[in-house]
Order: sequence, then C-alpha cells, then structure tokens
Amino acid sequence: MSDHAGDNGRRLTRREILAASTALAVSGAVGIPSSAGAAKRHPKRGGTLRFGTRDDSVGLDTHRNFIYFVSHPLAGMTGGLLDFDGEMEPVPAVASEWDASQDMKTWTFKLRKGLEFHNGETIDAAAVKWNYERILDPKIGHSFTRSALSDVERITVDDKHTVRIHLKSPSAAFDTNVVYYPVNLLAPGAVDKVDTHPMGCGPFKFKSWKRNDTTELVRFENFWGTDAEGNSLPYLDALIGKPRKEDRVRLTALRTGEVDLIDNIAYADVDNFIKENGANYNTWEVPQVGTAFVAFNLKNGPFSHKDNKDAHMLRTAAAHAIDHEGIHQAVFHGQGQIAKGFYSKSSPWHGESIKSWPQYDPDKARSMLKKANGGDAKLLIIANDSFPYMQQTGELVHAMLQEAGFNVVFEIHPTPVIQDKYNKGAFDIDSSANSYRIDPDGWYGRSILSTAPETKRRHGYVNEKVDQLILAAKVERDKKKRRQMYADVDSLVNHDLPLIYTHFVPLRQAGTKKVHGYHPAFTGPFQYAGGGLRTAWMEG
Amino acid sequence: MTDLDIGKGTVGGAIGIPAGRAVPRPPRMGRMRALIANAWYELRKSKTALAGLVMLALLFGACIATPVIATHDPIKQSYRERLAPPSEKHYLGTDRLGRDIYSRLLWGGRRLVTIAVLAVTFGLAIGIPYGVLSGYFGGKTDAVAMRFVDGLLAFPGLLLYLLVVTLAREWKLEGIYNDLILIFALGFAFMPEVARLARGSVLAEKQKEYVEASRAIGDGHFSIALKQILPNIVSPLIVNATVRLGYVILIIAALSFLGLGTPPPTPDWGSDLSAARDFMETAPLIAVFPGLAICYTVLAFNLFGDGLRDILDPRIAER
Amino acid sequence: MLAYIIRRIAHLVPVLFVLTVSVFVFVEMLPGNIVDTLIGTEGNDDPEIRKALEQEYGLDQPVHIRYAKWLGRVVQGDFGISLVTRRPVTLELMTGIPATVYLAAVGIGVSMLIAVPLGTIAAVRRNTPVDYTAQVTSLAGISIPEFWFAILCVLLFSLYLGWLPSSGYVSPFVDLKASLTYLILPAVAIGFRQAAFTTRLTRSSMLDEMNKEYVDTARSLGFRERKVIFKYTLRNAMIPTLTISGLQLANLLGGTVVLETIFAWPGIGRAIYEAILQRDYPLVQAGVLVLGVIVVVTNLLVDLAYRLLNPRVALA
Repeated sequence: MSDHAGDNGRRLTRREILAASTALAVSGAVGIPSSAGAAKRHPKRGGTLRFGTRDDSVGLDTHRNFIYFVSHPLAGMTGGLLDFDGEMEPVPAVASEWDASQDMKTWTFKLRKGLEFHNGETIDAAAVKWNYERILDPKIGHSFTRSALSDVERITVDDKHTVRIHLKSPSAAFDTNVVYYPVNLLAPGAVDKVDTHPMGCGPFKFKSWKRNDTTELVRFENFWGTDAEGNSLPYLDALIGKPRKEDRVRLTALRTGEVDLIDNIAYADVDNFIKENGANYNTWEVPQVGTAFVAFNLKNGPFSHKDNKDAHMLRTAAAHAIDHEGIHQAVFHGQGQIAKGFYSKSSPWHGESIKSWPQYDPDKARSMLKKANGGDAKLLIIANDSFPYMQQTGELVHAMLQEAGFNVVFEIHPTPVIQDKYNKGAFDIDSSANSYRIDPDGWYGRSILSTAPETKRRHGYVNEKVDQLILAAKVERDKKKRRQMYADVDSLVNHDLPLIYTHFVPLRQAGTKKVHGYHPAFTGPFQYAGGGLRTAWMEG
Repeated sequence: MTDLDIGKGTVGGAIGIPAGRAVPRPPRMGRMRALIANAWYELRKSKTALAGLVMLALLFGACIATPVIATHDPIKQSYRERLAPPSEKHYLGTDRLGRDIYSRLLWGGRRLVTIAVLAVTFGLAIGIPYGVLSGYFGGKTDAVAMRFVDGLLAFPGLLLYLLVVTLAREWKLEGIYNDLILIFALGFAFMPEVARLARGSVLAEKQKEYVEASRAIGDGHFSIALKQILPNIVSPLIVNATVRLGYVILIIAALSFLGLGTPPPTPDWGSDLSAARDFMETAPLIAVFPGLAICYTVLAFNLFGDGLRDILDPRIAER
Repeated sequence: MLAYIIRRIAHLVPVLFVLTVSVFVFVEMLPGNIVDTLIGTEGNDDPEIRKALEQEYGLDQPVHIRYAKWLGRVVQGDFGISLVTRRPVTLELMTGIPATVYLAAVGIGVSMLIAVPLGTIAAVRRNTPVDYTAQVTSLAGISIPEFWFAILCVLLFSLYLGWLPSSGYVSPFVDLKASLTYLILPAVAIGFRQAAFTTRLTRSSMLDEMNKEYVDTARSLGFRERKVIFKYTLRNAMIPTLTISGLQLANLLGGTVVLETIFAWPGIGRAIYEAILQRDYPLVQAGVLVLGVIVVVTNLLVDLAYRLLNPRVALA
C-alpha cells in the first residue's frame, strides 16, 4: 500500500483549483501521483504482468461492446479526451485544456499536438469528431457508451487541434462524461479491422485476443503519458489478460504464481486471505465500484400512492425492517461500507450531512405494518441473476421483511426478464445497483429525476423539490454547492423512500509482491492518470 | 434385423446401456408375480444391488419422514448465526445465511428425488409409447419417427438441456413452475433414449410366435403393442431408468453451477453446493454436506441399477 | 456392407435437418434477441433504431425464411459472422472445437487407463471383495458432481501440493509439454467420470469372453491363466470398450461446458453456452450443427468398426 498515490494535502489543493477556475490547464499535473511511489522505489522499466480477471471482453470493437474497466484487460488499449486522477477529478489526457461556454451548452477541447493512435495516425479534431459520431450512431455505439453522449447535439472542428461539442441542454458535467469510461477513441483509418485488430490510443497496444483464454497487449511506445521524471509510460513491456471465471481458481492461480494480479477476491475470502497470505501478497481496495440499493415500485401496487394511501407508511415499515448491518456481514462479509447516499467517502461527491434512512427497528416495522393499509398484500422482490450481491441482498431483504410480518416472495431473473418486469411494473421491490456514475448527474439526473426515462420506467418516483434540486445542480459550477444540493436530494430520498441505499459495492484486488507501482483507481485498474497499470512495473 | 445399433442407447447420456446388450427375455406370459418373487431371490444374490437397495431405502425413508425429522424451517434465515459449526441445535451447522443445513438437506432431498422420479417417469411416459408404436408399425412411420429421435440424440452432451432449460426458464420462473420446467426438460431429453431402446426391443419381440398368435385371434394393434409386447421389454427400461435417476440429479447440479438451477430460497442440493464454493477454504463443511448427499444418492441409484442389470440380463443371470 | 453404409449416410440428412430445425426453433423461442441487448435500457428504445438494427442483423424476416437463407449459405460453407464478436463464426469454431476435442480425447484416454485394469480385475475376481471394490470405485467417479470434484482437484493438486497449474490452456502445437501439464487436471476430471461406464462394460465383456469355449480350450492346452486373460480374452473384450469410448468422445464434445468454465479452457461448449445467453444465433446454430455432424459421423464410424471387428453382428 506504500504506493498509494493520493494524500489529503494534494486533494485539497486540487479541489481548490477546481472550485476557483472553470478552465483547467493542469497538464503539468499528470504524473504527479506516481512520484510518491517513485520516491520510495525507483520504477524499473520492463516486465510482463499477467492479470487474472473474472470476465473477458465479448468483442474487440470498444465502441460497439461494453468495456468493463474493472475486469476487461482490453481496457488497457483505450484512451479518451480526459482522464481521472486518483480523486476522481478530470485531468488532461488527449485534450490538454477544456472549457465550457457561459451557458454551458458548448464545450471546447484543445488537443495536445503530435499525438498518435496505435497505427501511427494523428489524433486530431477530425478524428475525435469521427469517433464521437460513430459512438452516437445507434447502430454501432453500445447503449451504455452512447448514453454518456446523449446530451450531444453536434460536434464541430474549429481547427486541427480544437474540437467543439454542442449540447442540447446545459451541463456542468459534460467533461466527466467524456472520461465516462467507454467514450474512447479509435483510429479512424483502422476501423475496417476493428473487430479483429483494434487500434486505440491508450497506454497499451493490442496484440492478440483469444476469447476466454488470453488478451495480449504490449506497451505503446508513443503514449503521451510520462512520470514525474519525464520517463514515458507505461513501464510494463506487456500486459497479458487471463480470464479466470471461477473465484477459487483465480485466487489459486495467484497463489501458484500463474498470474501476478487478480481483479477481485470473493468477499468471503478477503479476511482469510489477508490473514494467511498478507505477508506475501499485496491487496488493494478499489474505492467504489457501485452502489447497491433496494427500490420500491411507486408506479403501481401497495407501495404506490396511486393504489394505496398508506404507501409511504408501508415503505417506512419496510425500511425499519431492513438491517443494514446484516447485509454488510452476510452479503459483503464485512467488506466496504453501508451506504446512506449514492457516493462513498472515497468520492469527491460524498455528501457529509445526509439524513439517514429509518433505523433498523423490527418492532416498529411490525406495528407500522399492522396499522398500514395494504400491510397484508403479497409482495414480489426481484433481483438480477448476473451479480451475486444483488441476489444475496434480495435473499436477506426477503428474510428480513418476512420476519417483520410482510407477505413476500423472492425471484431471481436474467436481465431480459427483469427489464420486462420494470416495463410492466410487475414487481414491488427490486434489489439492484448502479455503477460508473462518476458525475452525480449520471445518477440523480437519470434515476431520481422524475422526468428521466429510466426513473419513469423503473420506480416512478416524483418529488418536485428533488427535481428542482437536480436540475439546478446540473448547471451549478460551484462544486461545493453542487455537492450539497445532491446531499439534500439524498436526504429527501431517504425520507420519501423510493429506494433504500444499502451498501457500497466493494472490490478487493490482490497481487504478488513482484508488482510495484500499482494502485487501482475509483473504478478499476485502467484509465487512471498517473496510476493503475500505467505506472505498474515488475521487479523481484 | 439390421438395426441392432450398439451404442445408440448411450448417446443421450454417457451412462445409458447399449441397446445391443438389451437382448429381450423370452416371454413369460402370466408370470409377472413369479418374476417379482424371482427378482427378490436374485436381488439377494447381488451384493451391489442389495447395497443400492438399502441405500435407496434409507434415502426414500428420509424423504418420506422429512416433515417429522427435520428440525428447522429450511428457508428460515438467521444471519446472525451464519456459518456455525455443527452443534446440538444445528446438527450439521448453518449455511451462509444462517439456515439449518440438516433441514435444508432433508427438504432439498425430498424435492430433488421427487423431481428426478417425475422427470424419468415423464421420459418413460412419452418415450415408451413413441418407441413401441414406431417399432410395432415399422415401415415409413418408423423411419420418420426414428429420424426425429436421431436428430435429438445428435445434440451433443449438455446442449439439449441448456437450450430447453434456458428457454423454459426465461419464459416463466415462478415457484412451482421452475420444478415443472426441470421435470419437463430432463424428461424430454431422456425421451429419445427410451424410444430407441423400446423400439429395439419391440423389433425383436415382434417376430415371435406369441405376437403372431395374438394377431391370429384378432387382437388390435394397440392392444398387441401395449398389452403383449410392453411387459416383455420392461427389464432393460427399468435398468436404464434407475441409472438415469442418478444422472438426472447430476444434471440438475451441473445446471445449478451454470446459473440455471433452482432459485433461492428453495432448498436444493445443487444450488446449495454451488453457493458453498465461496466457503470451500474458509468453511469447507458447508460444501461437504450437500456434495456428499448428491454422491450418496447418485451412487445408490447406480449401484441398484447395476445390480438390476446383472439380475435382469439373462446372459449374466444364467452364469 | 456397402449398401448399408450408403443407407446410413442417407439417414444423416434427415437427422441433421431435424437437428438444425430444432435449434432454430429453440433459439427463436428464446425471449429477446441481440437487438434488445444492443438497444439496452438507457431510455434509447426508439422503434426506428430497432427496425434499422433488426434489418442489419437480418432479424426482420420470418423464421422460415431466415432458416432457408442460413441453410443456403451453410451449404456453401458460409456460417456467417458472430453477432457479438463480429468475427466469422468459422473462426470462433476453429478455436473452440480443437480445444474441446483435445480435452475430450485425452479425457477418454484417461478413462480407459482407469477402466480397463479396473474392469479386468473385477471380472477375473468376480463376486469377490476385489470385484465389489472395483465396481464401487468406478461408480464413485460418476457420483460426484463434476464442478465440485474439479474444484477439489484444483485445491489439492495446485494449491496444496503445487504439482500442476490450476487452469489455463496452451496449444499442443505451441508447447507440447506445457500443454500437457495444463491438460492433466481437466482430463482427469473427465476420465474419472467416464471411467464408470467403461469399467462396467469392460467387466461384462470380459465375463462374456471368459465364458467362451476357446478359453477353456486354451486352459486345457496348458496356457497360463495370465496369458489367456491378457492375450486372448482382454483383446476380444476390448472391442466393445473401444467402440463405446468412441461414442463417449462424441457425446463429450458438448458436455464439457462446466469443466471449460472452471479450468478456463477455451472450448466450444462454453462458447455455445455463452452464445445462447447472448442470443448470438449464428454461433449457436453453427456450433450445434458442426458438433451434431461430429456426433452422427462418429456414431456411424463406431457402428461400422464394430461390425467389422465383430462379424456376428454383421451377419445378424
């Protein structure tokens, strides 16, 4: 953990800079974080890192396919206009400066000169425009990727190194959307081979991919990033992705030396692994992968005001029945933290003064349930089958509500069936989670704001005051004020209870002592200025 | 007869018996009772069959007695008592959600054995008439009917199950439907093998005098096929079905591993074993109990089936 | 014999027809398609986009037309491209099938190494404790849930003993020795399982053979018991064992999906399973067709081999 890039002193400075100016010209800041590690141990260039991951990419076109930055080695190939630093603030990458117009409807990005894609093609404004338009093409761009650019009206090229993005509506958060992970740049000249040999602009170049077997990436010699001493990044010669789906096999592969780094340890194994192997392996906690919650169906049924005058009382009773500590222990095995708002302490958007959801009090839950109209209704809890923690949270909530006297059933479904239930309002409680919402508008503006399609489709929460706060926050330049507005939204949410935040989704990575200079960012090992796999090297 | 295809009977599952071995017994009209008495006598000679029978008796006994001998509600969680070691209160300890493993095993076994029996019965119920009628009528009917069966048999390994279960699951997955889906999918996938086996035996039986005799006295087709031939081909089918019961339980476990098993909180050995993978290093007992339960049950069916084969196959019995 | 072969080959056509039609029907009945996945959930459900995508992926036509078109292309050797990876399906099959065949073939080899000695000794020492032990041992292999057994093997042989790598795949053409070390665990997991059936068959074939007159003749001529068993009986008894192993091999091609997942073996079983979940129709259809062809052709070859080796059957 000695390589940890961030320290609080620097964090404050960065925040002050951000609060004071809108135009960021901090190109010099890139590489600073690695200097802390570098001071302790001088980076050694070279080496091959074998990265054991739970998942593998489904395809090579990084616009068409969703790239999971925690677990897809292919992500090492991608790069974008901006990066995040260790504190999740946007910092320069391909673009060195950027600025928003007064009305926040036009964002201008100035590109560094002389940058290249992996095939040697120049990264210029036209290439950026081509990329963004390709992502926006609904026949190509993955829906998740596309949603990051959903505000974009058109893109214009000012000159070779200046690109201007015109938005449909003002947004103070567009710059974080550009880093918003999958919005990456591919070489336009190599697009005909994008499904077999993609050319990006990230720190590593694509070499080969065998599905569910191996991803081979090699160092991109002309990557723009440098460390504090001016040495070019990344240090590693090569990065080999080795997908190992089974948790036990992945952890075994690390211990037998078949891989050097793994993207996660099963929650149940973390404590034991650290206790027994802590001396021989480093582990890192990824700050926050996502936020888990249980949402109520406010569109129809016993939790909806339309159908039940005591809907809020019923939701409050349910909230009193849910023991967050139980979820913390049984689902997450004591890893990570209980959530009272959407952002954890490791995020710059963590709200300090959020009023909590109702405390665990099964007796109170029981008595409220008896009084409330519709307390005997049969309720359906659903969970998606793709994430064990969602299922297990659902299982626990099911038992907790049952204990408080609710008449509940629990079902697990694959994604298409879950989507269908949302569309039809055919559920009462949904155990779910949300991730990758780097900028708060990505969460509140999409899933809490009453007019957002996703809000309407899923829980159907409506609170005018909440809407006003979210809309005002979207155009608020002062980050401190913005943060407070979102904290106020969470206080209201915790009172109205369209959903109950349960837990931040933790992730624990582990590597051998040979891996140096590595520290994962907020959302994983890639796309992290001055950190992650870019500054990792192998020694010993 | 040219269709004595060895191995056809094995394609649907690696542990089926080849049709070539299923040489039908000579007819023993009106001697079913004697057959049963004889079977018991033979059974006592075969140690494997006897061992299997004793194990199965215990299993079925536990399944029947479950409501009496189970100590806890199998789905009742008490997450404050998670991963407890065996104790007087919880004979086999508690699982990841603090549920009583002993009670879950009992209820899960009761459900699993029921599903397996119903699935195999369903496979027999559609496969036997299909195969018997196809074999009895022969000719074009037979050719068409058998090509369909061959097509299903050509689905390699688990793929037929994967397709049928995925399909059925994504349609509807609520409570009892899930069990019905499993029964249907597992039974349907067993059908081609049964049909092949039944048809092969019928083809052999059809030539024999007693069938000619029945026909001469004017019995109808269905009457002959079902009343005269069927009782004489039951031996290989019984053996196959017994072994199949064990196989079905393993398939359910494999489907659980792939995420196509029984949804929680229903007690299910396969799902419980699959979920226990998380604790194989920190609390290995949680995996050991459902794992051993599956081993025990499959072994019991296999031992009994093997023993039955020795008894019912005249070539071996005569020795 | 030739007429028989021709008739059997002619039978393959309707069998493959049934196979491909059933796959099409199954896949067609699955709720949702690739377009649902692509459109996603972020409020992008514009009917125009859906239409355009369905057109691009050829999903706007009725299923029988799609089947006819697909069949037309397949006859010309074109399986199309994977809807997910957008690489030719042939490429996906060419990486997955050899890996699975390799695993299954060696797995069957291991099963014979276990089963033949076990079945022989069980037959020779029939109805003794040795026989019962051999039978129960072989049945134990088939009674353990495969994923549990596989993970236990990983924990024992990789983690605790450190003898073998836990998972992964190396092509035998790249580095044969390394390839075999990665192969041992999954192959043993398969072999142990398949051995149950082969042991039983070896035992009963041995019993059949040992009852024959030539054995008594040989004995009476003063041949030693060991020589009788190994030189004559076992050799004849191996005929059904070998043929059944051929069938097991074909059947295993789609049955290794669980082991492929655990041992990170890039085989065709897992590829097809994932394709089912992702609604990657071309890959599912081509995969099942090619594996189906391998199954029926192997069945045919095994059947012919059996007839050649065992003239009594051919006469029947």
